[in-house]
Amino acid sequence: MRVTITFRKQTIPTIPIEAEMITPDAFFEEKEIIVSEGKPDFRLDEVADLVIEGEAGSVDDVDILIRGDTGNVKRVGEYMTGGTITIEGDIGMHCGNFMSGGKIEILGSADGWLGREMQGGLIRCHGDAGDYCASGYRGGRRGMRGGSVEVLGSAGDFACEHIAGGKVIIHGNTGDYPCAEMKGGTVTILGDCSRVCANMSDGTCYVYGMAEEMIPTFENHGTCTHEGLLFHHFRGDVANRGNGSLYCVRYTYLK
Amino acid sequence: MAEMLLKNAYVIDPISGINGEVMDIAISGTKIVEEASRDAEVIDCRGMLTLPGGIDSHTHTSGTKVNFGRYMSPEDMRAGRTQRKGPMHVTSGYSVPTTYGNSYRYSALGYTSLVEGAMAPLEARHTHEEFKFTPLQDSFANVLFDGNWGMLKAFEDGDLKRAAAIIAWFLIAVKGFAIKLTNPGGTEAWGFGKNVSCINETMPTFDLTPHEIITGAIQANEFLNLPHSVHLHCNNLGTPGNFTCTLGTFRNVPNLNEKRQTLYATHVQFHSYGGSGWGDFCSKSEPIANMVNLRPQIVIDMGQVMFGRTTTMTADGPMEFNLYRLHHDKWSNHDVELETGSGIIPVNYRKKNLVNSIMWAVGLELALLVKSPWQCLLTTDNPNGAPFVKYPEIIALLMSKRYRDAEFATVHPDTGSRVPLPAIERELDWHEIAVMTRAGQARALGITDLGKGHMSIGAEADIAIYPLDVDSVDPAAEYETVINGFSQTEYTIKRGRVVSRRGDALVHGENTTFWVKPKVPPAYDLNQDEEFRSLFSKYYSVRMSNYPVQEEYLHRNHCIETETDL
Repeated sequence: MRVTITFRKQTIPTIPIEAEMITPDAFFEEKEIIVSEGKPDFRLDEVADLVIEGEAGSVDDVDILIRGDTGNVKRVGEYMTGGTITIEGDIGMHCGNFMSGGKIEILGSADGWLGREMQGGLIRCHGDAGDYCASGYRGGRRGMRGGSVEVLGSAGDFACEHIAGGKVIIHGNTGDYPCAEMKGGTVTILGDCSRVCANMSDGTCYVYGMAEEMIPTFENHGTCTHEGLLFHHFRGDVANRGNGSLYCVRYTYLK
Repeated sequence: MAEMLLKNAYVIDPISGINGEVMDIAISGTKIVEEASRDAEVIDCRGMLTLPGGIDSHTHTSGTKVNFGRYMSPEDMRAGRTQRKGPMHVTSGYSVPTTYGNSYRYSALGYTSLVEGAMAPLEARHTHEEFKFTPLQDSFANVLFDGNWGMLKAFEDGDLKRAAAIIAWFLIAVKGFAIKLTNPGGTEAWGFGKNVSCINETMPTFDLTPHEIITGAIQANEFLNLPHSVHLHCNNLGTPGNFTCTLGTFRNVPNLNEKRQTLYATHVQFHSYGGSGWGDFCSKSEPIANMVNLRPQIVIDMGQVMFGRTTTMTADGPMEFNLYRLHHDKWSNHDVELETGSGIIPVNYRKKNLVNSIMWAVGLELALLVKSPWQCLLTTDNPNGAPFVKYPEIIALLMSKRYRDAEFATVHPDTGSRVPLPAIERELDWHEIAVMTRAGQARALGITDLGKGHMSIGAEADIAIYPLDVDSVDPAAEYETVINGFSQTEYTIKRGRVVSRRGDALVHGENTTFWVKPKVPPAYDLNQDEEFRSLFSKYYSVRMSNYPVQEEYLHRNHCIETETDL
């Protein structure tokens, strides 16, 4: 089954569209797709042009293509378990929340909370990701638990906060506090970041660029090589009785 | 005026001395009356257990502390979401639900009055605002005095009457109901990073011991003739071997009031531990229960722990810090200027954990070993021991030895050698449960004269009707039936209106906030007192004139005026 959703230009661009029903699962089960724009609810075809072609034997046969004005469409792919979603432009917050299978490909940029608390599956974002990429929600205990997220651009603050499993690769830089409260999983940051891994208790983080303002509560365990590069190895966070591993090519402490 | 007739109800009403009589109850307006006219709406209650509306004498459902619990635990907010239905609002949350969530769920259990266990005076406005949105229950607020500098200074000077006047001023200003002491001395010490280890240790900021604060507050309470007694959370909560401290506290309580107890000790389960550390931690419920049996001036509540996730919240800041160091999870800590403090952490009581298993047993032992049900009330200190939705299970555990044994088989295997629970044969009956959940609570709170906790003529028509046919149910064997029956009322009637039917709220409700106003003579009028005024101008971040909560905040309210002996 091939689904093409073309969102029309929003009449009031400040009001987000909540579209948690746009998942391969919902189209496979042939549910009526309801989205809300502010308080009122709409059928999906009232805010977007919808084309459905073919039949699907399972969730994995559903391919969704989303195009048009999607920068303010939230919660696409929430709880999805299979199939693919391709987004041609930017996507709003909470894309891929709690997803446990399937694949989301974003050709533009994603807003905050991309892949929040995801359990499995794959997300690839060709542009930048907003704050809290692959993290838990505010105050939550565990962020991403499985699957993988790849961001080809940069990520915002608090990337991978509370992450407890899975794999994240960020090709660009991240903002402040990536991997804060990390509990497991592997995070690779190919660019620079600051105050990395605060209060981590377990897991592994590689920083290929500069780790600015390193937290002083990490024990330095000397250097080692990883994929042909020389890394400084830290263990911590000692303040959290933690046993995580932080590898970075260069680092500075706050003066 | 709307009239209602409950026909053929199986009534247990301990205060009126009715134990299992099939009778009709007539309601006119908001009161129970002798007889209803022919136009009255008739509800057939045949085969249904009919009790006065439930009263929770110690719960945390409103105020800043509860709200903090809500926003530090979004994962708790994700659990227990319900949709809008008729007049019912959307609710969410499990251990700390939204205000409406608390109100609807309590109403489904047949509860019509709630006592907020701890209100920080400075933050009273928030508590009253949340009371307003707890529409199906009447509200009472205990006011925290454990670290109140004005009161402590008066105690230090040995001027009990002045202390009483200060207490009265704060109670009136914040529209509170009773005096609450939480870890007296210790909470104040926590503001300086310290604690007190027992009742005879001097606190760091004032030349006082917890013992002097407790006895002082008890006497001040009687000077003011307040309806409720001092509501005490003892020192040393949750530490191994703290039962000696609790016994010491109980031993010194004088018998000062004929109508009710002199001291209400809350969540005593957390204060009945033996051992010298977590390694030899054990239950000491027997000496505590014996002490309570010997002293009619003391009423305790269980503070039962049930297994599962919950959020603990108390004004006892140092205790929460110790718990935080144990669990190493989230922690919030708060200081309320010159008054009190608080701490909040989420916990998960697990059957695999020996300490948690012992805690579970201690609460049940207290309820079973205290001879008079009037002296041991059923609470979980919601949500500290467990969320209140567990009450039906606790009732079933108390009524059925078979259920207790079945549960006991699933807890940590070493529990048996540390607690007396398996040897206790007692099974409570329906009457005793009615006392522990409504009549006893009303009498302990001193609100029977206001028409609460009983169904005699002239009482408030707060009634809970459960789908339980007492004659055909053997609670000792059919404990599942008991749990289901108490989980959802057929009808909950509040002030003469059916507010809840089979778990669904039917109306928005109009609750009342009860507060006390002791009549203090002009000699003790603190509004003109220079020393008291300077306390505000020197230390508080709020002006004295802005401090009192205006009556407009209270929505519907009932002021209880008392004569004082000052």
